Amino acid sequence: MHVTYWIVGEDEATLTQCNYFAVLPIKRQLKSTKLFIYSSHLWTGMSVGFIGAGQLAHALVRGFTAAGVIAGNRITASSPDTDLPTVAGLRKLGVNLTMSNKEVVNKSDVLFLAVKPHIIPFVLDEIGPDIEDRHLIVSCAAGVTISSIEKKLFQHRQFPKVMRCMTNTPVVVREGATVYATGTHAEVEDGKLLEQLMSSVGYCTEVEEDLIDAVTGLSGSGPAYAFTALDALADGGVKMGLPRRLAVRLGAQALLGAAKMLLDSEQHPGQLKDDVCSPGGATIHALHVMESGGFRSLLINAVEASCIRTRELQFLADQENISPAAIKKTTLDKVLQQPGVSRAEVGVRGGINLFNNSSPRKKY
Amino acid sequence: MDSTFRVGFIGAGNMAFGIAKGMLSGDVLSTNVTVSAPSQRNFGCFQELGVAVTHSNVDLVRGSEVVFIAVKPHLVPTVLNEISEHVTQKHMIISVAAGVTITTLEELLPAETVVLRLMPNLPCLLQEGALLFSRGSKARPEDGALLSSLLQHCGLVEEGPEAWIDVHTGLSGSGVAFVYLFAEALAEGAVKMGMPSALAHSIAAQTILGAGRLLKDSGKHPAQLRSEVCTPGGTTIFGLHALEQGGLRATTMNAVEAATERARELGRKSAGTGDRK
Repeated sequence: MHVTYWIVGEDEATLTQCNYFAVLPIKRQLKSTKLFIYSSHLWTGMSVGFIGAGQLAHALVRGFTAAGVIAGNRITASSPDTDLPTVAGLRKLGVNLTMSNKEVVNKSDVLFLAVKPHIIPFVLDEIGPDIEDRHLIVSCAAGVTISSIEKKLFQHRQFPKVMRCMTNTPVVVREGATVYATGTHAEVEDGKLLEQLMSSVGYCTEVEEDLIDAVTGLSGSGPAYAFTALDALADGGVKMGLPRRLAVRLGAQALLGAAKMLLDSEQHPGQLKDDVCSPGGATIHALHVMESGGFRSLLINAVEASCIRTRELQFLADQENISPAAIKKTTLDKVLQQPGVSRAEVGVRGGINLFNNSSPRKKY
Repeated sequence: MDSTFRVGFIGAGNMAFGIAKGMLSGDVLSTNVTVSAPSQRNFGCFQELGVAVTHSNVDLVRGSEVVFIAVKPHLVPTVLNEISEHVTQKHMIISVAAGVTITTLEELLPAETVVLRLMPNLPCLLQEGALLFSRGSKARPEDGALLSSLLQHCGLVEEGPEAWIDVHTGLSGSGVAFVYLFAEALAEGAVKMGMPSALAHSIAAQTILGAGRLLKDSGKHPAQLRSEVCTPGGTTIFGLHALEQGGLRATTMNAVEAATERARELGRKSAGTGDRK
């Protein structure tokens, strides 16, 4: 299931044209030769599916294929809307696209639920009957608890293997920050599997589920804080005379470099900050301005607000009172057009009751 | 070597007392120390240390090699004028007066005089001072080393350019008062939350003392120590958040800046020059 590929050669350009690898992550030079060894861990025999073909699915697939950890054609993704730009992007990466969630389930071993949180119950109702023992269900939906998923699937499968993960958009450049929590019936190996997969696109570690809201506030939303900061830093540069493109470039590089220094260092960020501030110099003057503006407390407040909102959304979701307006009619119609999907299965009734007690198991 | 030097203090106030006490915990013999002042008011505590007392600044200068000028800043010119003709090249004159520049001191003393400027702070009284000194134009490194060794039991002793003395005033001279303010506020917070005042003050003082000692002895960055106290979702991080929201950091930086600027201003006034730093 898990294979390490090695390619030996002299010419990097030729090697990287090899179909299997978009980027060869690990490169070593054989001593006193001109030969380079490129290696990558590749999964063979394991298929990955995505329910939902939006930003998250696209970012993850781009990351996985760039890391060479799985080939595009071993990935299936479903979306009722084929006009999405992310759908086109996925197609370009070799992903098999379908409008049928059931098809994704049948063709996958690791199944990512990459739809908006309020859609999750509908999806679970629909695919519940098709879940097999082999499936590892990974929900990426913010605020959706493992227990709510296990509860939903219970009528179809008593011991579904469920994991919950919170990642972030920089997986697309393989610098994501991912945490995952393991469900009741998932084994340690399932966690390790997910960790290996997500480690190919950045940092990944296991956490207790009750920390996931905090992670959302910090690293889930984090890139947005950084983009805002970079936009403003660039404005500062432009104000002081720099051309915009250069300002953006330099600002981004400064943050990237600082982050790298911190990750590589044992030192406290406070110490690293001190190392930049020469006495009476420019930087300490700037820092004083930032402190006066309450920079630190703003960031603390932001993380707190994002975390609290995540909890609120989770609370609302747990109420299980999703109004029919919460799901787009067009989306629902397309879902209902799929072969084998009945209204009863998707839990659409007069008022939405997401606990679907009488759905007949359809096999096809 | 220290014990052969005779040390004199012109002025018998708190600073002189603190420094004298510190020196006497080292190698300096009390028989080699004299203090002079116009009134007898403070002589008692010096005499308890075994230090000789006099009312004559001139006698003191003639009988000492190391002379501390420990009078109020506005009295410095008067004192220097009085003793100037008795100052020789064997003397080392150290001014402790805030805001009186080395230039001013050197102008009022004979040309080749070894002059140093010292800024101590209040905890010198307990030998836990922070002292920064600067050498005048005729003071050699050896003179600085001698002063360092005389003062070593007064607390932390460092040498620096004169420009740093104003910053030291703002940080450590006034800084002591900033800490007292913080201590008072800590205690008041505790009183608000239900603790009796006396106990709150006593605990606040010990908290600051303990934290200060840990900061000094551990060698760790204060940010590191702060992180180590903050358990996730615990009480400390909540309290710190409140401090950050109140802009404590910026306010503290403002305080040090304001005190430093004032020290510079006073220095300019006393020097009578209009040069800006």
